[in-house]
Amino acid sequence: MKILAGLDVGHVNTKAILMKGQEILGYSTVPTGYDVVAAAQTALRHALDTVGVSRGGLAGIVTTGIFRERMKEPPLDITRTVADYVADAKGASFLSRNSRTVIDIGGNIQKAIRYDQNGNTLDVIQNDKCADGLGIFYTTMAKAIGISEQEMSELALQSTQKVSVAIHCAASAESEAIDLMCQGIDIADVAEAISRFIAERVAAMCTTMSLEKEIVVAGGLAKSKALMKHLPSLIEQDVSILSFPEYVGAIGAVMSY
Amino acid sequence: MMKEGPDTIIERFHSISENPQEYAKSRQGKGQLLAGYMCTHVPEEILYAAGIIPVRILSSHVSQAMTRSYMHETYCSFSHDCAYQGLAHNYDFLDLIVTSSSCIHMGEAFNVWVRFAGFQEKSFLIPYPHIIETKPAAAFMAASFEEFKQFLEKFVKKSITDGDIERAIRVCNQTRRLLKRLWEFLRSESSPITGPEVATVTLASQLMDKEEYNPMLEQLIQSLEVEPGKAPSGVRLMVTGGACDDPGIFDLIEHLNYSAKLIFIDSCTATRYFWFEVPENRSDKLQAIAEGYIRRIPCPAKDNVPGTGEKKRFRFIQQFIEEFRPDGVVFLYQRFCSPQPMDVVALKPILDKLGIPSTELELDTTVPITQFRTQLEALVEVIKGVTP
Amino acid sequence: MAYTLTTWNDFKNYQTTCYRNYLYASEGLRVMGSTWSVLAPLKGLGEDLHLIGGEPHAASTAGTFPEESREDISAAEVAGLGFHSCSYLKLFVGEVVRDKIGITDKTIKEGYPRPDLIWTTHLCSQHSKWYQEVSRRLGGVPMYAIDMIGGGDAEKDPKIVNYVSDQIEEGIHWLERVTGRGFSDELFIKAARNEIKVLVLWGNICALNRHAPAPLDERRFIALFPPAVVDRTTDETVQLYEALLKEVRHMVETGQSVVPDQRFRIVYFGIAHTYGHPEMARILRDAGAEIVASVYTFGTCGNFRGFVGGKWSWDPLDPTWVDELDLSTRRKAITELVKIALGWPTWQGVRSYWALESMARAMVAEYKADGLLLAPSRSCETDFRNGYVGMQRIFKSEIPTVEYDSDQVDVRKMDLPGAQRKTELFVHLMEAHKRRST
Repeated sequence: MKILAGLDVGHVNTKAILMKGQEILGYSTVPTGYDVVAAAQTALRHALDTVGVSRGGLAGIVTTGIFRERMKEPPLDITRTVADYVADAKGASFLSRNSRTVIDIGGNIQKAIRYDQNGNTLDVIQNDKCADGLGIFYTTMAKAIGISEQEMSELALQSTQKVSVAIHCAASAESEAIDLMCQGIDIADVAEAISRFIAERVAAMCTTMSLEKEIVVAGGLAKSKALMKHLPSLIEQDVSILSFPEYVGAIGAVMSY
Repeated sequence: MMKEGPDTIIERFHSISENPQEYAKSRQGKGQLLAGYMCTHVPEEILYAAGIIPVRILSSHVSQAMTRSYMHETYCSFSHDCAYQGLAHNYDFLDLIVTSSSCIHMGEAFNVWVRFAGFQEKSFLIPYPHIIETKPAAAFMAASFEEFKQFLEKFVKKSITDGDIERAIRVCNQTRRLLKRLWEFLRSESSPITGPEVATVTLASQLMDKEEYNPMLEQLIQSLEVEPGKAPSGVRLMVTGGACDDPGIFDLIEHLNYSAKLIFIDSCTATRYFWFEVPENRSDKLQAIAEGYIRRIPCPAKDNVPGTGEKKRFRFIQQFIEEFRPDGVVFLYQRFCSPQPMDVVALKPILDKLGIPSTELELDTTVPITQFRTQLEALVEVIKGVTP
Repeated sequence: MAYTLTTWNDFKNYQTTCYRNYLYASEGLRVMGSTWSVLAPLKGLGEDLHLIGGEPHAASTAGTFPEESREDISAAEVAGLGFHSCSYLKLFVGEVVRDKIGITDKTIKEGYPRPDLIWTTHLCSQHSKWYQEVSRRLGGVPMYAIDMIGGGDAEKDPKIVNYVSDQIEEGIHWLERVTGRGFSDELFIKAARNEIKVLVLWGNICALNRHAPAPLDERRFIALFPPAVVDRTTDETVQLYEALLKEVRHMVETGQSVVPDQRFRIVYFGIAHTYGHPEMARILRDAGAEIVASVYTFGTCGNFRGFVGGKWSWDPLDPTWVDELDLSTRRKAITELVKIALGWPTWQGVRSYWALESMARAMVAEYKADGLLLAPSRSCETDFRNGYVGMQRIFKSEIPTVEYDSDQVDVRKMDLPGAQRKTELFVHLMEAHKRRST
């Protein structure tokens, strides 16, 4: 059986996955940085190293993500590209056969995709400019507090008092979060306000489209328990988090080979 | 009955303005009908004449993003907040919601209630001039008000007489006169009431049954007349701008690291709400209401005198500057508001000529208080000619 | 093979001539204002009036001078106008601030020609304030703003028609006082009939796009509607649109189109924004997807049957009806003009969400749309920003619907990469929908 690679080249991270049929062999994530081609090569190489397969052992590479078209440049020699919403739907459907909607919370882009039993896209809703960068905002705030994103989520879960940050845009939310910290507000409460801000922006976008059960969540921020705590009540639906949430696009790229 | 001191009365007003739904429900529990409104161009007199208490919808200050999929995110926070409260079913108990053609952001908040929050069958939009100074505005308004009156008659299933309307005019005028007297205290250097307190009492007038409100306010004024001054001394600051129902901002003005006091607020949640009267004892009551509302301090969204392009509101502002003698002006308006910034750019040069420094603060659902403090203290430093 | 319009250059020349006259005329009166106003009353002052309309001028300047436009908008912001203010407004005021003006023949004139008067309307919460600012900066230009009220079925409401008509009557007296000229009812009535005729003719041209293949596309509509917005009161504009109507009818009869490959028909609700459109159009064209109907280009200077039995109809009005209209007195001419203006789709939709929704439903049905493309403009005050948010919610489950961020003329507010991604998504959804349906 052939070994295939899927590359999801996003604004913040580049994800590579290797699959043989239905089996996930290995994967790797590297920061995208400013050289997207180099990031893709590095992610692929790391993934290959974990499995002990050489580049020549691959039957094909499919790319998705915001920079997928850049992957056509040498020396990646990719087989094809596929749109991110197509890949997300295929990947989510592969990971959860009963699912029909995936909410993908990425670094810069968030979207909700509805699909059929075969993972074919039926409808998509995607954020507008003002909500760009919610994932990046989360990372920035974690840095401003001096902790990792994982720690940010754990901290938020310890919140005891509800505070709010401005909901209009991430720039004002950041400004206000820092203001709250200056006022001596408990950092756990600020972390929780940030998590809730992101969940609310995502939920507001999602509810413009009808979401079909079962609903699953993908993307790097799906791993934040603090964020996921809010999402079901905001969209008034149950959700479950996919395994390999940040690799859904890359998996879906392989499925689209 | 023992007379209450002013602080007790102010606290009662404050409690009502902090819990408007609780108050409204208590009136409904006594069998009264309630109509929510989002723009102060709604002729409350006609609602009163129909036996309906008007209740202004104000901010909940809940930070939420739900409304972003109903209204564009670059509409003002106040409109989003008002829209949210409809979607959150905070006001399902209202018997009716009403608006007059207003600024577009608030118009859309109203539309959200009508389209998506279940108020389709219990709502009314009053066509109202978008330029208040046009010559035929009064006649148009009177015709609109007649249609509104007929709608209300069907709604309450009884006729609204001229007598009903005249009585309502007097009640509302009484509120306006009392509020003017209240604000006059702030002219003094040793006012017995602070600016933030006056703002809170004014806000309560938009939430309460005026027949309950008026005697309370009368009692407050009487007790203040024998009270010593308590407002801080120091720099006198005037606020001008859009709707602001956040008492924290007004409190901030009087709790800076410098002594400053809030002496006037030109906004639709403050003096623009009441600084006019409807002519009494006219035979054509609706025409009288129209004329009265035309005499209001114009909302920036409606202010453009045909022929000259004058902003009539500026005449009022200059009058208030003369009477209340601010040392500085704070422009306070919602982020994304369209008409307010268009006025600011024209008003600033006038303030410059009068030698009055100013600063601008943009309101949002929640505000960065520390940054606001810095800006306000910088304004005071400019006024006092000091460096920190 | 794609059809080439023969009347194309005449339209461009007309628009340019109007702007050149405003800039360089040594006689006559310069008049400025929104082209959503009724223009015919101005012509009662004489035929030597040179008009500049805020919206078309800002739009065409942005298309002709992208870099200058950015400077204009920045200049307005530095002068104090808010970031969130209308970008047409800022570009226009920015030219006043910089004291230079650029027009469609690529001329940039140093020294902004001061208007003799401003005749405008109050479309949104900042619209007439736009001209208050211009008037102030130019030392106080007399200005008269008409409150059109607007809203669904407004033209059927006598109190609204009377309110607007009364203002125009008053406005005519003002025009006489301010200019010192007598008002000629004869000239006014002729201009009024021309104005109404042009609006009806444009409606007829737009309605022909209900055929398959649609003879015209949005790019052509954007290029062909300027004369009707810049000055629709002249005999020349009537002739332009009569000729265009004849040509487009011929295209329909012979099954021709400027874009013959029409696999997907799109209804577009958005302002005719300058930036981003060519990129969007290319993505759509590669897929054979064409915008065949658009609320802005159709409805800002076109009239249709409107609400019939509570539902909107994009059926055109008979142009010969205009010839028979009783405009025998000043008041009658004013009243008919007001009804026509209030009947514009854009005046109806701008204050009534239900009118906008009904128009969208009718447009999707009558123009047999395969997809609905929504482009709320970030700095437009009206439904051109907000109405489309609500529409997405309503239409998304019925027809492939995608919304992307745009702006009239401020390229900073456009999300060009995002808009391109969403256009690609739109094509994908239409393809998927088509596959499911067959």
